[in-house]
Amino acid sequence: MVQRFIVKRVLIALLQLIGISLVVFFLIRLLPADPVARIVGLNATAEAVQQAKENLGLDEPVYQQLANYLGIFSTSNDDGILQGSLGDSWVTSSPIIEEVTRFLPITLEMITYALIIAFLLALPLGMSSGTRPGGFADRFTFVWGLFAGSQPEFWWGLMFVFLFFFVFQQAGWPSAPPPLGRLNPLMTAPDPITGFIMIDSILRGRFDVWIDAGKHLMLPVFTLVFVVSGPIVKMVRQNMIRVLRSDYILYARASGLPPQKVARYALRAALAPAMTLTAIIYGFLLGGAVPVELIYSLGGIGEYSIRSILNLDFPAIQGTVLVIAMVSLIIYLAIDILHAFLDPRITF
Amino acid sequence: MSDQSNQPGGHTPTPEDIDQHVEPHMVTETIPTKRRQIDLWRKVKEERLFAFGMFIVVLSIFLALLGPEISPYDPNFATGNVSVPPPPILEWPKLFIDTVFRGADPPHWFGTDNSGLDVFSRTMAAPRTDLSIALIAALFSMILGTTLGLLAGFFRHWSTEILMRTSDLLQAFPVFITAMILVALSGRSTTNIVIALTVVYMPIFIRLTRAEVLGQMPRGYVEAARAVGNSEWVVAFRHVLPNSLVPSLIQLSTTVGFAILLTSGLSFVGAGVRPPTPEWGLMIAIGAPQIILGEWWQSIFPGVAISLTIFGYAAVGHGLEEDYR
Amino acid sequence: MVVDTKDAPPAGTSSGHILEASNVNVRFPIAEGPDVYAVRDFNLAVRPGEFVGLMGEPGCGKSTAAMSFLGLVRPPGIIETGTVNFMGENILTMDDEKVREMRGRDIGMIVQNPRYSLHPMIRVGDQIANVYRAHNDVSKREAWDHAVEMLKMVGINDPERRVKAYAHELSSGMAQRVLIAIALSSRPKLLIADEPTSGLDVTIQAQFLDQMWDTCRQANSAVVLVTQDLGIVANYCDRVVIMHEGTVVEDADVYTFFKSPQHTYSRRILELQREAQEAGESVLGKIDLSADPILEVNDMSKLFPIRGSESKVHAVERADFKLRAGECLGLVGESGSGKTTIGRCVLRLIEPTEGQIVFQGRNLADLDTSEFRKFRGDLQIVFQDPLDSLNPRWTVHQVLSEPLKLHTNLSDKEREDRITELLKLVGLEPSMRFALPREMSAGRQQRTSIARAIASNPDFIVLDEPTSALTPETTAEIIRLLMDLSAKLGIAYLFISHDLTTVKYICHRVVVLYLGQVVEVGTKDQVFNRPRHPYSRALLASHLFPDTANRRVDREVRETLSGEIPSPITENLPKGCYLYGRCPSQVDKCRDMPQSLTELPDGRSVRCWRVAEGDLPEELLAH
Repeated sequence: MVQRFIVKRVLIALLQLIGISLVVFFLIRLLPADPVARIVGLNATAEAVQQAKENLGLDEPVYQQLANYLGIFSTSNDDGILQGSLGDSWVTSSPIIEEVTRFLPITLEMITYALIIAFLLALPLGMSSGTRPGGFADRFTFVWGLFAGSQPEFWWGLMFVFLFFFVFQQAGWPSAPPPLGRLNPLMTAPDPITGFIMIDSILRGRFDVWIDAGKHLMLPVFTLVFVVSGPIVKMVRQNMIRVLRSDYILYARASGLPPQKVARYALRAALAPAMTLTAIIYGFLLGGAVPVELIYSLGGIGEYSIRSILNLDFPAIQGTVLVIAMVSLIIYLAIDILHAFLDPRITF
Repeated sequence: MSDQSNQPGGHTPTPEDIDQHVEPHMVTETIPTKRRQIDLWRKVKEERLFAFGMFIVVLSIFLALLGPEISPYDPNFATGNVSVPPPPILEWPKLFIDTVFRGADPPHWFGTDNSGLDVFSRTMAAPRTDLSIALIAALFSMILGTTLGLLAGFFRHWSTEILMRTSDLLQAFPVFITAMILVALSGRSTTNIVIALTVVYMPIFIRLTRAEVLGQMPRGYVEAARAVGNSEWVVAFRHVLPNSLVPSLIQLSTTVGFAILLTSGLSFVGAGVRPPTPEWGLMIAIGAPQIILGEWWQSIFPGVAISLTIFGYAAVGHGLEEDYR
Repeated sequence: MVVDTKDAPPAGTSSGHILEASNVNVRFPIAEGPDVYAVRDFNLAVRPGEFVGLMGEPGCGKSTAAMSFLGLVRPPGIIETGTVNFMGENILTMDDEKVREMRGRDIGMIVQNPRYSLHPMIRVGDQIANVYRAHNDVSKREAWDHAVEMLKMVGINDPERRVKAYAHELSSGMAQRVLIAIALSSRPKLLIADEPTSGLDVTIQAQFLDQMWDTCRQANSAVVLVTQDLGIVANYCDRVVIMHEGTVVEDADVYTFFKSPQHTYSRRILELQREAQEAGESVLGKIDLSADPILEVNDMSKLFPIRGSESKVHAVERADFKLRAGECLGLVGESGSGKTTIGRCVLRLIEPTEGQIVFQGRNLADLDTSEFRKFRGDLQIVFQDPLDSLNPRWTVHQVLSEPLKLHTNLSDKEREDRITELLKLVGLEPSMRFALPREMSAGRQQRTSIARAIASNPDFIVLDEPTSALTPETTAEIIRLLMDLSAKLGIAYLFISHDLTTVKYICHRVVVLYLGQVVEVGTKDQVFNRPRHPYSRALLASHLFPDTANRRVDREVRETLSGEIPSPITENLPKGCYLYGRCPSQVDKCRDMPQSLTELPDGRSVRCWRVAEGDLPEELLAH
């Protein structure tokens, strides 16, 4: 049963990915942007334009471009998606896959830590405020949930830089490092294993890097936690209130279950929706953490995607959208499976 | 406590109105003669958070209408003074009196940026860009989204199935990146930002409305509307639609907030409106490099404006939600 | 929980009562407006082994009062004052841990909505075991085995499998048994049962209450049975306590209560019921049952396809019946019997799979939808849930205007007059014209619904359980209204109901349904007094009429059916008689022999070969 459920979900996800790649492909070609002009410049000769078109494969009809992109009935020498290639960047000429695998882990590392911390913070906060509705903690959590739910994270990031870097430094206190990347430029990063620098540095025994990377990640992660914990707290709080008013909690108390047991009954029911929300936010942040990456110059997938979009680098745009969509679909799938294990009402 | 409404109480007012045989005793209730409406004013007086939200909403709309006209300096025209810090807060009353009563040149309340533009004037003028983009995009996505959602929920048909699948697909796209693609590749104009935001936010309304319509479909009044003899279109648009709008209306104010966030976020990363348009995100972007140099005023004020505006809209949305549910 | 005991009388353990509640007050703070006292100066004493029925209309505070016996109250309520002495100790002032131990061990509780009262993500076996372990020093293993044993005791088939089930996998009847297993697992001295059978079918209700009665009598447990059903009280309780607006207004022996109720409120409940009966009888005699029918339903079937499966839901199978002008035909059966589907199919709110609906000489089933729409004015319906069936944003005026605009050519002025007339006909004040549904009481909402149905002068109205969402009192009023309208306007009713008491009052003829099939059709007297089909007999025997003359618990044989109603899916349906497996009169031949509806000499029709061949003699039913 479980296997069938997973297989079915994976198939649906694959269909969605195909749909997404097609939509992106046509979307960027339908919009009135001219990548050739961007590359050769506006004053280029007709021959130069023609030459550039041929180099980029844009001289072919659209259906042939699609075939080349997908890798079926291809007329080009390069591999397509089916051969496991996302093409080469028009700007740097290196394979998209290579670039994406370099940039993606940076973003993943940041948002993974941020969401784990946010979830662990939100859980006790939301639960305690849900248990005593109307109290001070509850009022605070409520306003916090409403406030932080949608805030300009890029601005908050700047403010944290100002406070923890500039002001602290001026005051002579121990301050955050300047927002210029994920390591001190004098330090060399260990060769990637997982791509997560905090993990790689431990695996390679580079504890100096671990400490420095930790310092550099502190503010971006804090910025995201600041923004993202709001909705999760709100969700846990609402669920807790709902569950505590439910008939089964009342009945559990009426049957004389000890308070700890009642609390466990309640937590069990309140946990699942908060987890789903966390996963959705994860998917959102994959492409939505762009401004935060920019502020701290981390060089993640978000920054890469802005660069590709502003350069009209079509293969790179297609590649990043596809990869981001794929990662979020994997996350949703994982959460759905976990949810199904937690909640027997979900049928496989 | 709806089940208390059945409690028998006093007696019938005018016996000739009622067939006595049918009704031996009546309940006296207060019967409103007009339909009840949400009393905004009462809510503003009683709920601080909602009052704050309404204040922000009204102020933002006021500034969107008149901001550029009433700002002390031209928001698009650089003054000669570059990177002037704001005057110390303690001098503000004196400066205010000097400006209003003694005809002195208005001070740069929020300082000037590194090209000499007055930050206060630009912060005031920005709602015309941010808010009109956000409001129009949110309204468009709601109108289109609820209509499509109603069709998809009410009429089960292969075409509505395709609609839903497409909408699902759009929702699987990373919002920020999709908006960037749409704007950057079609030209960074206000119209294109509105279109991009409409596309990005429409699926939420389709989904919300469809879910609500599906929830309304088994309701008795829908069947009753058919039993009375209405055609399917009348049932859909006159009966089901008005009863399915509440979630979308609540979502509207949240969407306005998100749309402001996205508009300013796009400009911040360089894929939104072009400089020197007065726009909050752009102002923060221009001020960002100066932050590590200690010139905090260029970005802090527009940021506070975004932060409060979004919070205000969220507070109003939350207040309405509580009343409707 | 705030408990103020200074006003309470001194605790006493005299008179051998197991439970003594005195002067209990429960307050609910309301955000806007003054606080509500759900329970006011409540007094009740229960003797060991006694069955006490706690009755009252919804919102009278009976559930809150019952909950307070455990020292509990739904948030945000507060038990303000009073004492609840259980075996001589005041529960409200006892320390938390001690009360906790007492709950579930000495006082058990079962509630309505059993499926919502079980944790949705924990196996029922674990839930029973957790409660057992909270009160008894046993290992996990022992507690689990005890859970299996308890499930067996409350009559669940295959307890070893069911113990691993989750709440959503159980039927409500079964979930209710799980609750009673939890409640009785530690052999409590008092059981509080809060509307334990609401939402259960008649035969399942009888099975369940019999089981509860036997188990509690064996253990000599006292029971406080909270209900608003006079039938349950009359058949199972020793004593009746009537609550009204939060306080006890009558406390009497069950026989005394039904013979001569003291309080005005109690009197009115019983009186209204009697009046409804009389109103029904006054109309009943006037119908000519030999006249030509105005509506004929022939061989109508409805099969619902199941997505991704070959099998189908057999909601209705070849239903056949006729109605004459002014006649009221009762359609009775339990859930899954197809009675609601038949009502919908006749009006083509659901398209019948096959069959004819003959009205005014035309087969309505053949018309295309836009042509059929013209007949909607003649064929109307009143729905079960009055609030749900009115557009929440429309005033009474808007609701009544719609059919008039669609089916009449009245001018604006005439339409206003007609609306005034309709309001008067259904007994609504003219000032109600601009009220919204949620601003009216349930009774008024249903009157609005009825006014909408009669607005276009129909010949025929489907009444789909029009009273099942109403209090007994309002039910009686609505029944009287319907009978008056039938007498005045000559409308024929198809009265769909699971409430046999109501059907008995107002119907001329009765159709009994089981699993989508008509099993018996006859006049009211035939079906109610001498039912022939084994299912009709069990159904009527299981129904609890509000009459203490022949209480179910006093009967030597309590006729009932075993097992549960199967869901009417193709592969679930028995090959032969659909009742096979549950029928007390079945023989081997029944298993494979499909049954057909056969007319008997006395004019009724029965779907049972043994009845048709005279194997099962006609007998008077004891109820």
